[in-house]
Amino acid sequence: MDRRTVLKGLAGVGSLAATGGLSMPALSQGAAARTLRFVPQANLANFDPIWGTQYVVRNAAAMVWDTLYGVDAKLQPQRQMVESEQVSDDGLVWTFKLRPGLKFHDGEPVRAKDVVASLTRWSARDPMGLMLKAIQNELTAVDDKTFKWSLKQPYPKMLLALAKNNAPCSFIMPERLAQTDPFKQINDYVGSGPMKFVKGEWVPGAKAVFEKFTDYVPRQEKASWLAGGKQMLIDRIEWVVIPDPATAAAALQNGEVDWWENPLSDLVPTLKKNRNISVDIADPLGNIGSFRMNHLHPPFDNVKARRAVLMAMSQEDYMRAVVGDDTALWKPIPGFFTPDTPLYTEQGGEILKGKRDFDAAKKLLAESGYSGQPVTCVVAQDQPITKAQGDVTADLLKRLGMNVDFVATDWGTVGSRRAQKTPPGQGGWQMFHSWHAGADCINPAAYTAIRANGEKAWFGWPTSPNVEKEVVNWFEAKSVDEEKAAVGRLNQSALEDVVYAPTGFFLSYTAWRKNVSGIAKGPLPFFWDVSKTA
Amino acid sequence: MLSYILRRILSTLPVMAIVALFVFSLLYIAPGDPAAVIAGDQASPADVERIRQSLGLDRPFLVQFGSWVWDILHGNLGTSIFTNLPVSKMIAQRIEPTLSLMAITLVLTILVAVPLGVVAAWKAGSWIDRTIMAFAVFAFSLPVFVVGYVLAYVFALQFEWLPVQGYTPLSNGVWPWFQNLILPSLALGSVYIALIARITRASMLEVLQQDYVRTARAKGLDQRSILFVHALKNAAVPIVTVIGIGIALLIGGAVVTESVFAIPGLGRLTIDAILRRDYPVIQGIVLVFSFVYVLVNLMVDVTYTLVDPRIRY
Repeated sequence: MDRRTVLKGLAGVGSLAATGGLSMPALSQGAAARTLRFVPQANLANFDPIWGTQYVVRNAAAMVWDTLYGVDAKLQPQRQMVESEQVSDDGLVWTFKLRPGLKFHDGEPVRAKDVVASLTRWSARDPMGLMLKAIQNELTAVDDKTFKWSLKQPYPKMLLALAKNNAPCSFIMPERLAQTDPFKQINDYVGSGPMKFVKGEWVPGAKAVFEKFTDYVPRQEKASWLAGGKQMLIDRIEWVVIPDPATAAAALQNGEVDWWENPLSDLVPTLKKNRNISVDIADPLGNIGSFRMNHLHPPFDNVKARRAVLMAMSQEDYMRAVVGDDTALWKPIPGFFTPDTPLYTEQGGEILKGKRDFDAAKKLLAESGYSGQPVTCVVAQDQPITKAQGDVTADLLKRLGMNVDFVATDWGTVGSRRAQKTPPGQGGWQMFHSWHAGADCINPAAYTAIRANGEKAWFGWPTSPNVEKEVVNWFEAKSVDEEKAAVGRLNQSALEDVVYAPTGFFLSYTAWRKNVSGIAKGPLPFFWDVSKTA
Repeated sequence: MLSYILRRILSTLPVMAIVALFVFSLLYIAPGDPAAVIAGDQASPADVERIRQSLGLDRPFLVQFGSWVWDILHGNLGTSIFTNLPVSKMIAQRIEPTLSLMAITLVLTILVAVPLGVVAAWKAGSWIDRTIMAFAVFAFSLPVFVVGYVLAYVFALQFEWLPVQGYTPLSNGVWPWFQNLILPSLALGSVYIALIARITRASMLEVLQQDYVRTARAKGLDQRSILFVHALKNAAVPIVTVIGIGIALLIGGAVVTESVFAIPGLGRLTIDAILRRDYPVIQGIVLVFSFVYVLVNLMVDVTYTLVDPRIRY
């Protein structure tokens, strides 16, 4: 018997005496095994997956709301809530039929009108949804089980749009919730997925609780990412927000939590030494680091200055700063697309390969007309990934002979400052860092950072007609070969015009107690098929 | 006394008004945009702008301030930009852990620091005094988060006596509640114990030189009565003052301690709200903290009359 046991015993007596027997009974072994305590990557501060598109919201929402289609581990869209679909010969009319037995958490059946309202709200916020909306004739419910999407022109990527796991996903909500303005937050969380959100136990910043929805009817196929039979083997999932990584590591070692989504790489060696803990790569699709330049203002309004950065940057320096010396966790990429995925390409990537040529880069920078004006680098210090990248960038730019104005700030400030188009001296900026989930970079569908349509583009507002032409070509491609060709040319054009500078590809770990099993590698934590023993 | 307390409570109103204006202005001019945080990293600038409009953040300063003050006057602290929950509900959810942490820390501090200070003064110049003061300097020099990590490593990870993190409500039992607060209270209390011990020692040293203490000794009173009945009561005014000031330290320290031990209290809510630029929540918390601080000062002033009968209001 150890001291803790003694204290617990005393505690039982003490609390009984003090509260008149009001203390909660201890969980039985069975109850403990049916509750999974999970430490998410971030705080679940809101719970509207259309209004707020943070990954943590998407991850929680994937339990609570189901989708019409789901992308599987082979990156292919598969039917989920849909039983069948038909597309007209001209590709203009899609007719979908829902599978039987679908219910919302309030017991109401899922009807076509709910789907229509959900897709209408989603298509106001999602890049692919916006494309669909732009070519939409009408989206209507034919009957309770059937709905029809009529378009002005064919959209070959329809199923991918409805299946993709990039936020915002096309989650299906009851009509009354889905009729909420897409720029306003819902305040009820009646879902269609395998877990219910327990609003009463939600303490934003501390805890979120999900309980098994017993009326959920999973598909018969084996689960694969967002597709297949979402069998819940756990009755209750508690998301425990632990902001401090060292505390999260200690809690996992102490058995106070079961699964930590995103351990800091510095702490992984400690976790690996613990015989009760398993550690593995979380998401094989990883992330791509980003050095984002402002194309509106000097010096980066000149492509020669942007190319000078590419010529001089060492992705290895960036990756070692971000994830350390564990070479299994990173690799350089001469391009913008996720390695080991079907469309991965290195076409046009020579500028990022081989020995770094500072002399040539300096010459090119001089040709761009750069003459020592300050370069405002806005770097979030509260995000380890952006901080590490920012430190490498400051050194890189100084070695290139640039006058670095290093603005160390927090992510909230970067978020607002990067939206400023004014010159750097008037509140604007010249570069900032970010990173993109590899799942968003497998193709151009949800890859907003690769777009180069000027004012409509992501922060930095790059303009490249060639890039945009190849994005259109990819959307219109009718075969994988056509898709590959378009993405190859897109990669080349994006590097020639330097839409942004990729700083490398990196992976991260996830860690769990060994009494938990069934954890799948993927772009988000999947809770179906996960089980736990006491 | 009652009229004094009423006057003091009324005098908090202008203080709160100034705090409200100051905080609102500061947040208005501070960089950062909650709309950008809500929209997520992949959002387009147009999306961010639409969200900003829907939240009313594009309205002029005076309109926003007027609307906020109007709501407060109607007892409404507003709604969180992020969670869509009432700020009052969010504060209510978080206040128990913070009050519990502060209460236990305060009790622990007084129970440990005051006797230490008294003994140090009694044995002034001896090895006991030097040891206590060395401990005080050491504890005062260590950041709260370092003490927290060390305590968690030793007592939670190595000995497995106590949990590393979290909070259990008092309604779930006294021991589960207390168990989660032992390490955080020790961490948070370390600086405070050092401060109070030093102040108690200094104050007691002065009192122990007084004629009435010498008289008490000459009359043959035992040492404990002299120290704790006669001397400590007369040395109490500066100690009570510092305890009151120290509550502000506790509020600041709670922010760090709650983060280290993952306690879902007001401190963590403050950090989360600041990082996300959740203006209504920040404003609500600052108002609550200001009110608590004003209230504590009032309680300190009232306590003076209990320890020193010469003080009358």
